[in-house]
Amino acid sequence: MSSEPLLRVENLKTQFFTEAGTVRAVDGISFEVYEGEIVGLVGESGAGKSVASMSLLRLVERPGEIVAGEVTYKGETLFGLEDGPNGDLRKRDEMLSNEEIRTRIRGNEIAVIFQDPMESLNPVFTVGGQLREFIELNRGLSEDEARREAIDMLREVGIPDPEQRYEEYPHQFSGGMRQRVLIAMALACEPSLIIADEPTTALDVTVEGQILDLVDDLQKKYGTSFIWVTHDLGVVAEICDRVNVMYLGEIVEQAPVDELFYDTKHPYTQALLESMPRPDRTVADLEPIEGVMPEAINPPSGCRFHPRCPDARAVCKRVHPEPKVVADADGEPHRAACVKHDVFDVGYDESPPLEGAVDGEGSRRTDEPQSELAANPAGDEPGGDGGE
Amino acid sequence: MKLLKYTIYRLLQAIPVLIGISVITFLLANLGPGDPVSLMLQGQEHSEELVRSIEQRYGLDRPLHERYLTYMAGLLEGDLGQSIHYQRPVADLILDRIGPTLLLVLSAYAFALATAIPLGIVAANRRNEPTDHASRIAALVGVSTPSFWIGIVLILIFAVKLGWLPSSGLIYPWRPPSSYPGISGHLELYYESIRHLLLPMIALGTLQMATIMRVERTQMIESLQGEYVKLARAYGVPERTILRKHAFQVAQLPIITIVGLNLSTALGGAVLVETVFNINGMGQLFVEAIQQNDYQLVMGVTMLLGVLFVVGVIITDISYAYVDPRVTYGERE
Ligand code: SF4
Repeated sequence: MSSEPLLRVENLKTQFFTEAGTVRAVDGISFEVYEGEIVGLVGESGAGKSVASMSLLRLVERPGEIVAGEVTYKGETLFGLEDGPNGDLRKRDEMLSNEEIRTRIRGNEIAVIFQDPMESLNPVFTVGGQLREFIELNRGLSEDEARREAIDMLREVGIPDPEQRYEEYPHQFSGGMRQRVLIAMALACEPSLIIADEPTTALDVTVEGQILDLVDDLQKKYGTSFIWVTHDLGVVAEICDRVNVMYLGEIVEQAPVDELFYDTKHPYTQALLESMPRPDRTVADLEPIEGVMPEAINPPSGCRFHPRCPDARAVCKRVHPEPKVVADADGEPHRAACVKHDVFDVGYDESPPLEGAVDGEGSRRTDEPQSELAANPAGDEPGGDGGE
Repeated sequence: MKLLKYTIYRLLQAIPVLIGISVITFLLANLGPGDPVSLMLQGQEHSEELVRSIEQRYGLDRPLHERYLTYMAGLLEGDLGQSIHYQRPVADLILDRIGPTLLLVLSAYAFALATAIPLGIVAANRRNEPTDHASRIAALVGVSTPSFWIGIVLILIFAVKLGWLPSSGLIYPWRPPSSYPGISGHLELYYESIRHLLLPMIALGTLQMATIMRVERTQMIESLQGEYVKLARAYGVPERTILRKHAFQVAQLPIITIVGLNLSTALGGAVLVETVFNINGMGQLFVEAIQQNDYQLVMGVTMLLGVLFVVGVIITDISYAYVDPRVTYGERE
C-alpha cells in the first residue's frame, strides 16, 4: 500500500433539501481508497451509501447537494470548499469545474457499475453500441478501435460469442450477462477506480458468486481500485480489503476486513454480523437488528444508533461519539464511533443502561414507511435490498 | 427478413377487420332512414313503374345479402358503385377529393410533430419552471378547443383582420400552375399553396400538437430518470447528447402509437376543417353524401376512411417494431 491514497474523502456532507426538511443523507464521512484495493461501504438501505458514492462524482441529483467536505483524487480536488471573505463557504479555486469532472473524471478515471443491470442499459441501443460509445468518449479511440476494444472486453468478462453478442440488444441478455456487460463497460474505460453500487444485489446467489469471482480476477489483473457499496457483509468478506460501515449517514466503524470480522468494535457492526446468514448458523440463530433505521431527516440525539443499540446507556443519548482509532492492525488504524471505546472517558461505564432502549421506541416502527422514504430521498438503492 | 414477414402478417390480419368494416357500413347505409329513390325523384310526379325501374337499375330490388356480395365483388375490381346524386362512379369522386384531405391531414401532422416534440422536450427539461407551466396551459387549451372554432378564429384574425392569408380553398401543388388564374410558374404555385394551407393546417394540427406535446413531456421526464441516463451521466456523456440521444430515443416509442391511433380523430377533424375553409376534400364529399342520402357514396367514403385507419395502425405497428428492438414480431424468440 502506497502512502498517498488514490482517493481521499474528508468530512463529506450531502444533504437533500426536501419540503419536509433537510435530510442529512451523508453527514461528515471520511475514508480513503488506496491503489489496487477494494474498499467496502456497508450499511442498511438508506444509510447513505449510494448518495455518498455518487457524491464522489458530483452526481447528486436535486434537491440533493454536497454541502461540505473535501474529495481529493490523484491530487486533484473533485470537491472542496473554503471560507470566503465574509465567512461564507465558497468553492475552492482548484476544484474541478463541472466540465472538467465530466470529461476528465467520469468514466475515464472513475467508472461506476450500478445495481440494476436490467435498467442500466438503454433498451433501444445495442449492447455493443453502448459499450463503444463510452469507450470512444473516455479513451478517445476511433469507432473501429473502440469496437475492437469492446469485443475484447466482452470476451474478457466471460461473454461467449462476443462478436455476435455485440450486435444484440440488452433484452436478449440475462441479468448476470448484463452485469458482465456493465463490468466490461467500466473496465474498458480504463479507470483507476470503479464504484460498484450494489452490483450483485439484483442477481441470484449463484450468479452473484460468479460475478464476485470475476471481479476478483479482473481486479488482480488490472489493478483497479474499487469502492464496493453493499448491504451484504457476506459479499464484503469475500471481496473487500478494507471496510467502512455506515449508519444513518455516518461511518461508524472502519477497519481492514479481517479486523472488522474478528475484532468487531462497534455494536452496530456486531448487530449486522449477527443478522447475517452463515453456514455455521441455522435460520433460528439469526438475530435481526431490532427496530428500523430512523429518519435521516431528524436523526436521534447523541449516538444515532442508541435507539436500537443493545449496549446503549444513558450517556449514549447525550454524547455524539466521533470516530476514534480503537486498535491498530499492522499499522492500519481500526476506527469506531462509539462511546464505549472513547479515549476520553465520557462515563459510559458508570452510565445507567437506557431503559427500554429498543422497545421504548415503538413509535418509530409505526412510521416505518415514511422513515424509509425520508432516509432515502434520492431513490438511493432502489428496489429494496432486503438488508433490513 | 423478419420485418418483412411481420409486415405481411399484419396485412393479412387486416383482412377480417376490413370485412367487418364493410359489413357494418353496408348495413348502416342500407338500413338507415331515408329512401334514395324518392330522393332521386325529388318529389316529382312518378309512377310505381318508374320507381321499380330505378330500383332495378341500381339493384335495390334484390335481397340485402345479394346486394352486399355484388358490392364486394365490385370492390375487388376497384368499382365502388355509382353515386346516385352525382351520377358518377364513386371511385372517381373519391380520387378527385382525396388529394386535398391527405395534404391537409399530413401537413397537420407534420406541423404537430415539428412543434410538439421540441416543446415537449423543453417542458420536460425545465420541469416545473414557467416554460413548463406555460406549455401545460397551452396544451390544455389546445386539447379542449374544437378545431373548427380554432379555424374560425384563425380566419377572423389572419384573413379578415390582418389580411395576411387567404380564408378559403386550397391550391394544389401537384396541378399545373396554369390551372389557377393569376399564378405563373411553379415557385409561385408552391408559395400560394403553402399560404392557403397554413391556416387549415394549424386548425387541424393544434389538437394533435397538444396531445403529442404532453405525451412527449411525460415520456421524456420518465426517460430522463431512467437508470441508463444515470449511467450515461456517470460515464461523462454530455447532457445534450443524453437529451437528444439516450433519453430521446426511448421516449419516442409512445409517440408513434399516439400518431397512429389519432389518425381517426385527425380524419374526423378534417371533415370540420374542410367545411370551415371551404376545401373540396373527402370531408365535404362525406357531408354531401349523407345529406343527399347517397348511400353508395356514403359507403365508398366510409370504406376508404376505414382502410386509411387500418393502414395507419399497421404502419404504426411496423414502425414500432422497427424502432423498438424489444418487439418480438408476434412470436416468442
Ligand atoms: S455509543 Fe452507545 S448507543 Fe452508540 S453504539 Fe456505542 S454503546 Fe451503542
